Amino acid sequence: MGALDTVKAWGARKYQLIDKQAIKEITLGASILATGGGGDPEIGLLWSYKVLDEGKEMVMVDPVDVPDDVLVASPACLGAALVLTEKPPSGDVLNVALERLQRYLGQRLEATIPIECGGVNSPVAYAAAAELGVPVIDVDGMNRAFPELQMTSWVALGVHASPVASADDRGNVTIIDTGEDDRLAETICRRAAMAYGGISWIASYPMRGLQVKETSILNSQSIAWEVGKAVYRARREHLDPVEEVLRALKAARGVEGYRVFRGKIVDINREFGGESTKGFTLGRVTMEGIDDFRGSFAELDFQNEWLILRVDGKIRCLPPDLIAILDSETGEPIRTDVMRYGYRGTIVVLPAHERMRLPAGIERFFGPRCFGYDVDYVPVEELVNR
Amino acid sequence: MKDLRIGFDVGGTFTDGVVVRGRQVIAKTKSITTEDVTTGIINALDKLLAQPGVEASRIAMVSLGTTHTTNAIIERRGLDRVAIFRLGAPATTAIPPLTGWPEDLKEAIGGSGNVHVIRGGSEYDGRDIVPLDEMAIKKACVAMRGKVSAIAITGVFSPMKADHEERAREIVLNELGDGVHVTLSHRIASLSLLERENSTILNASVISCMRRAVDAVKKAMKQKGIDAALFIVQNDGSVMSADYAVDYPIFTVASGPAASVRGAVFLSGIVDGAVVDVGGTSTDVAYIVDGFPRESSITVNIGGVKTNIRCPDLMSIALGGGTIVKTRGETVYGLGPESVGYNLVRLGKSYGGPVLTVHDVAVAVGRLSQRLDIFESDFVTHPEKVQALSPRTVEQAYSLVKSTLETAIDQMKTARGDIPAILIGGGALVVPTELDGVSEVVIPDHFEVGGAVGTTIAEIGAYAEGVVDLEREDRNNAIEAVTEKAKDNAAMAGAVRETVEVVDVEEIPFTYMPGKREKIRVRVKGRATV
Repeated sequence: MGALDTVKAWGARKYQLIDKQAIKEITLGASILATGGGGDPEIGLLWSYKVLDEGKEMVMVDPVDVPDDVLVASPACLGAALVLTEKPPSGDVLNVALERLQRYLGQRLEATIPIECGGVNSPVAYAAAAELGVPVIDVDGMNRAFPELQMTSWVALGVHASPVASADDRGNVTIIDTGEDDRLAETICRRAAMAYGGISWIASYPMRGLQVKETSILNSQSIAWEVGKAVYRARREHLDPVEEVLRALKAARGVEGYRVFRGKIVDINREFGGESTKGFTLGRVTMEGIDDFRGSFAELDFQNEWLILRVDGKIRCLPPDLIAILDSETGEPIRTDVMRYGYRGTIVVLPAHERMRLPAGIERFFGPRCFGYDVDYVPVEELVNR
Repeated sequence: MKDLRIGFDVGGTFTDGVVVRGRQVIAKTKSITTEDVTTGIINALDKLLAQPGVEASRIAMVSLGTTHTTNAIIERRGLDRVAIFRLGAPATTAIPPLTGWPEDLKEAIGGSGNVHVIRGGSEYDGRDIVPLDEMAIKKACVAMRGKVSAIAITGVFSPMKADHEERAREIVLNELGDGVHVTLSHRIASLSLLERENSTILNASVISCMRRAVDAVKKAMKQKGIDAALFIVQNDGSVMSADYAVDYPIFTVASGPAASVRGAVFLSGIVDGAVVDVGGTSTDVAYIVDGFPRESSITVNIGGVKTNIRCPDLMSIALGGGTIVKTRGETVYGLGPESVGYNLVRLGKSYGGPVLTVHDVAVAVGRLSQRLDIFESDFVTHPEKVQALSPRTVEQAYSLVKSTLETAIDQMKTARGDIPAILIGGGALVVPTELDGVSEVVIPDHFEVGGAVGTTIAEIGAYAEGVVDLEREDRNNAIEAVTEKAKDNAAMAGAVRETVEVVDVEEIPFTYMPGKREKIRVRVKGRATV
């Protein structure tokens, strides 16, 4: 049974066939929402193209149409972005991970759920689903990209990452079952990735359709798609891409995004590696204002993703709210791993989804204190208007 | 006594040639570029040899900057049929070689029937992914005998550990004989498998093309009685011996702009700042660090294919002498991107034509009053013909030229503060010399043949890479080891090893990974052996 047969068997009405253009738009939109992180989406995108060229069905289905009792899981790449660009995956490595998770659970998986919006893991969830012959559900677990496995709305609302099946291209598989300890699952997953050679391909967050509906960021794939479409439209019709992105978000998600700065990068300060930084690239970027923002300075701290924004010393955005630097001409997001001196862009901030703003999640998994900042979370809409 | 160096810069319109003695330019020419390229070079050579003091017997070195191979790829013309080996299975199969290539280019190199993904390759830490499948390589060779002339071999993590690529080459040469040319990816580019593989395949596809060009120039030299070493300009502005260039033609795809940058440095004596190369239809702005062009950190697209070969970081803007000034009444609302190109003399206002160009604006503001003798066509300007232009239009247009250039230079800066700018190229005299953000504007002598001068400098460039874990190894030792490898590479490209020095050391951290690993990349340069 193929992906299309599956959604038809569910009696689903809200589903979409994804073609090359669609996956390209979804990936670009997700990269904008990835807050500067998530790695280069190129590998996932090329993989999706190849799967589509082979005639496999790529189907995205609305969560309302997913039966409560079906079992689903999230396929993703976990490890070093640089290793991924040198060692792309085998065609079946995520199938192996998903298969082994099914075997461990003794039950069939009937759909995939993207773990994050952003970078390589957005298109990967589609490619893996098409290879396996199942649909992708129109949700994600972060509403953005975050560096660690446990930083999801799923965990914040009581669904766990474990058991996780972690595979490499040689067919090695590690089953990680840490019960309710999601941080330990993250630690073991990352160690397994290192032992494999820097990256791993995981199937995690097995859950039921009902749990998907109750704990995910709903319709986040469609929202990313609208954002991607808006950028391509802006490029085609020579419109302001930033304006188009904000308009698309307002229409699709009903949120107000804010254009808070326009400038160029004049300083990049990186700290990286070692146990103290847990293997993440930390640092701070300074942007000098141009046009209306001449004389102002913006500072962004990053840990793979942009975390905190200060403009002229005042905090303007805190995690889990979203920060994006968009190229003012093309709308292309500027990633923390490829940014450089002289880059010009517009900084846009956005409120996180309400499921990422629950006190438990902010306190324990992805608020400012979880990244070592001694400040309380304040919603971005309040910070911007202060 | 052999005391002369000859340099050629083959551009799209003109083939520039110069003769240099020491630091002195003693002859120069601008000839029309011919379709076969070599005829244009021979014409330029003839003109140079006809000038006083330029005797064939005194020439020690000939160097050439050319985008010959780039054009072959872009036009899908005269390419080799390439067999492609990727050493990376069972990993990497999700995205096979040639994914995302334009169909016509795929066809021109023999199609995807010659693609072989073989078990092998390394992990980042040097372990084998799996042992190399030697039998599979042998079997593939049997099938391709007589069907291909070039082979591209790319192994996972080969820039760190090249043993599988080297072994695969041995097997291929054993099976197919010396008649095929093998390109190994670790000699072509850095980490990022797909882009490196693309670069390697493109390199393999233009081996014969480069060999024909080099042979033709060598033959011409022989006919003219020139017994001298031949060098080709690389993408970073240094040169390599012609015989080495035949093996690595992909390193010449950006040799034109790179030569201009080196020429600007040579002629002006400025080693840090911006180089602004103004042509007829566009202007390239490059940034120089210690006399060499800064490299681009993004992927470079050649003929529709993403590559990661090192090229100068250029900002190209649609601003040149022939660029059309767009007006509504007396108000200027834009510059270009359209240009009158060749037709400036027929269409430009300052020649009595109907179109207002940047050249005409420069004449109107009094910036351009002299004739450039070196051009073969009549570029004499007629200031009286632009007197009728509205002063408001002229002023607005000139200030738009100024701000366009200022923004381009500013975007290339790496830090705050004013920097010097060197103006070169045939259109250098049409742009303002007072620029915000620029400490001084220098227009050196021989600016109009800057690229050709740049080819004659004869510094051999090379690089090497390695990965180090700073928690286990000493950083300085690691850098030292990579530096030695880079010096070996420079010697292979034709440098005197003792003269090789470090140009820069780049360190790139690995992200999303515990430990303190980083990639080290060392660039070096040294004097040529002549």
